[in-house]
Amino acid sequence: MTEVSIERLTMDYGVHLAVDGISLRIRNGEFISLLGPSGCGKTTTLKMIAGFEQATSGAIRFDGSDVMQVPAEKRDIGMVFQNYALFPHMTVAGNLAFGLEMRKLPKAEIQSRIAKVLEMVQLSSHAERYPIQLSGGQQQRVALARALVIEPKILLLDEPLANLDAKLREEMRVFIREIQRRVGITTVYVTHDQAEAMTMSDRVVVMFGGKIAQMGTPAEIYDQPASVEVAKFVGQVNLMRMTVDAVSADGSMDLSGPFGPIRVKAIAGAAPGRSVTVAVRPEAIDLVALGEGRPATIVSSYYSGSLMDYRVRLADGTLIDVQTFPRQRFADGDAVGLSVSADRWWPLEINA
Amino acid sequence: MNARATKKRASLLLIAPAGLLIFFFLVLPYLTIVVMSFRVPGDGTPYAPGFTTGNYLHFFSDSFFLVQTFNTLMIGAVCTLVCLLLGFPVAWQLARGNSRWRGIAYGIVLSPLLVGIVIRSYGWTIILGNNGMINRTLISMGLVDRPVGLMYNTLGIVIALSHVFLPFMILPIMSAIQGIDPSLESAARSLGASRATIIRRIILPLSMPGIQAGCILTFVLSLSAYVTPALIGGSKVKTMAVTVVDTLVDTFQWPFGSALALMLAVTGAVIVVIFARLTRMKWKVA
Amino acid sequence: MSKTFFTIFCLLIYIFLLAPIVVVVLASFNAGAFLTFPPQGLSFRWYVVFFHNEVFWRAIKTSFWIAGVTTVISCIIGTMAAIYHVQFAGKLKETVRVAMMAPLLLPEVLTAIALLFFVYTIGIGTQTVLPMIIGHVLITLPFVFINVSASLETYDVSWTMAARSLGAGPFTRFRRIMLPLIKPGVIGGALFAFIISFDVFTISFMLKSVGMSTLPLQLYDYLRTNFTPEAAAVSSLSVFLTLVVVVVTEKFLGLKIHRF
Repeated sequence: MTEVSIERLTMDYGVHLAVDGISLRIRNGEFISLLGPSGCGKTTTLKMIAGFEQATSGAIRFDGSDVMQVPAEKRDIGMVFQNYALFPHMTVAGNLAFGLEMRKLPKAEIQSRIAKVLEMVQLSSHAERYPIQLSGGQQQRVALARALVIEPKILLLDEPLANLDAKLREEMRVFIREIQRRVGITTVYVTHDQAEAMTMSDRVVVMFGGKIAQMGTPAEIYDQPASVEVAKFVGQVNLMRMTVDAVSADGSMDLSGPFGPIRVKAIAGAAPGRSVTVAVRPEAIDLVALGEGRPATIVSSYYSGSLMDYRVRLADGTLIDVQTFPRQRFADGDAVGLSVSADRWWPLEINA
Repeated sequence: MNARATKKRASLLLIAPAGLLIFFFLVLPYLTIVVMSFRVPGDGTPYAPGFTTGNYLHFFSDSFFLVQTFNTLMIGAVCTLVCLLLGFPVAWQLARGNSRWRGIAYGIVLSPLLVGIVIRSYGWTIILGNNGMINRTLISMGLVDRPVGLMYNTLGIVIALSHVFLPFMILPIMSAIQGIDPSLESAARSLGASRATIIRRIILPLSMPGIQAGCILTFVLSLSAYVTPALIGGSKVKTMAVTVVDTLVDTFQWPFGSALALMLAVTGAVIVVIFARLTRMKWKVA
Repeated sequence: MSKTFFTIFCLLIYIFLLAPIVVVVLASFNAGAFLTFPPQGLSFRWYVVFFHNEVFWRAIKTSFWIAGVTTVISCIIGTMAAIYHVQFAGKLKETVRVAMMAPLLLPEVLTAIALLFFVYTIGIGTQTVLPMIIGHVLITLPFVFINVSASLETYDVSWTMAARSLGAGPFTRFRRIMLPLIKPGVIGGALFAFIISFDVFTISFMLKSVGMSTLPLQLYDYLRTNFTPEAAAVSSLSVFLTLVVVVVTEKFLGLKIHRF
């Protein structure tokens, strides 16, 4: 079980700066996700950790020793690829045995490890099948097994669920996380799907444009996003412009805006008269009777079974998204009241 | 950074043998032909020291060679045309036909390539000769009194060459037609187009790259064919390629032979370029 | 209606394509002494005559071993070039392709002449079999290249990456992952190379050393002066040999393809 530390890692292609001096420490047995839109540098970072790409500068350490000059085949990593990359001309057992044969393990050991890992991924009866005979989900499990059977220092996954359909993706999320917990291996998971990152990770590293925008637990990323970009990328969010009325000595500031006066934690640069962008998640807004909250009108509604999404218009014309449980259904045109508890407002940045 | 550069350098080793082979035994030798064409003809030796343009002057001053070059080009053009007319339907059928006979048909198209050129040409001498298959059949059926001259003349050469190079016309066109999305034809039919219109306005323009490739290949191969014209034409009718080889091997006139070879190559190339330009302009292909 | 006409037309062309080969094979069974068609009766006599013909047998043997050597060299060089072309060439990809296809696009006659001049100019001449082998390798290289490249286009680079991540070095990766997966291409290329080298005429004609003869050369020589069906017997045997090689390889390849 390994600790990975990345120090000021940079990948400069000349025409394009893919990764811009990022640093992070991954603890022993931790599951971290690199989350971001395509082109943000997350896959390049993963490839550098794996050794398939050479960084232009910076350091990558496994348990303290620098692996930059170590070729990929000697880094003792386990990697799961987006398209599974199972060797088509070998059976499942053959695929699993390959990494063990590279490590020159005795035959008996190879057999026993294969049997154990197949049991872990619930494919014991498929050992003699060829990849082409397996479904997408099964192939993915074999790919995972192949990476784990060699008992590597770290597990790297490159958007492994991207090619699976929605239902299967949800099942596999749980599956992968369970196995990772059981084995306790340090894991780096790359994805652009924020639901995946949030449900699976101990910590999430959000990346934009080659840099780390925010690093923290899923709750920290969701409830306390560090910037407008992060807030928009992870989950749905309402962004409202409000004006600073006053800043108090106790570290809070009073804002006024389409929602009326609110009091939130003060942020750097706050001064009376300045404009602030404030975030509030759709599920943080309650729909109450007209007189009991901020007046608004339902514009449109979307029912998804477990949840209800509303588009709502405030008195001054601002449109907001609200999400509730469908305990009470409102129709388009209904007048309602909006209520938000004070601790759900999250100020993001002072506007220029 | 170091690792990436070493990897690039190491990968060059892969192309090195082929690259060196092509450079030293293709590029340089072809340059040798050009140089040779300017050398002074030798007496008893392939060539003598010194350089001259005499070989080319000889070529242009003797109408025999000019006529023979022209005839060779004509043979090439006619062969190409024949191959196109015969090959396009077959290419179409192979590309769009159903699969049961396709394997066999494809094998038949490839079969000439798998049988030696000498054997194929030999087969044609049997078919075309005065005592050969065609004449014997015609005579025994009473259609002619005397054998029709199909050998030792241009007609025989054209027939045999068309056979030899037909696969080279069929394969590129077949490949091009296969690349055309079948739903385009369905769309055209749904819009009311007849079969002929579909071929003329959809298939032909879109398969033009294949047609172009097939024509150029067939033309160039016909010009430079040696064995077939040698066997079929005998000493009566010679194409330029045959003359060139005879000049080099029989009479050892390397400089003059080179000049002849280059003149054939250059005229052929000029025609190919004109053809490529024309078809590009009209049909807008690469 | 026009569909039938079309099918008949195509059928005639297929017959046209097969005609010379069929005719030669049939003529080889001619009982008579002259090469006539239709045959004057059926017999194996010309096969017997050919069987005792030392010259032809020597020529067949020569063709065989030259084709064998050519195929091995061509496959090695061609496979390496194809790997470079598909995976490493980058901006040079098109240049490499044109260069590798050049021996096919250039007239064989000119290539033969070029090589002849060149080997004399650099002094090695045609006393050895080397120029002929070089010529054969040049002519067959494009076929190996095309076939292996085609196989490689279906090769997924992530297989190589997966093998690396599991600890395999470059040679192991080639031997256990890439080679098995491009085998159809290599074998297809080898097949083409062998047959083409076996049957090639002009290159052998210009570059042969004194006293050496390949089957096509021997046949051509014979045809210029002789008119007995013995040549037909030799030709038929050659066609038959080629067929055997193709069928055996198909069976071998067929088994492999089934795998995936």
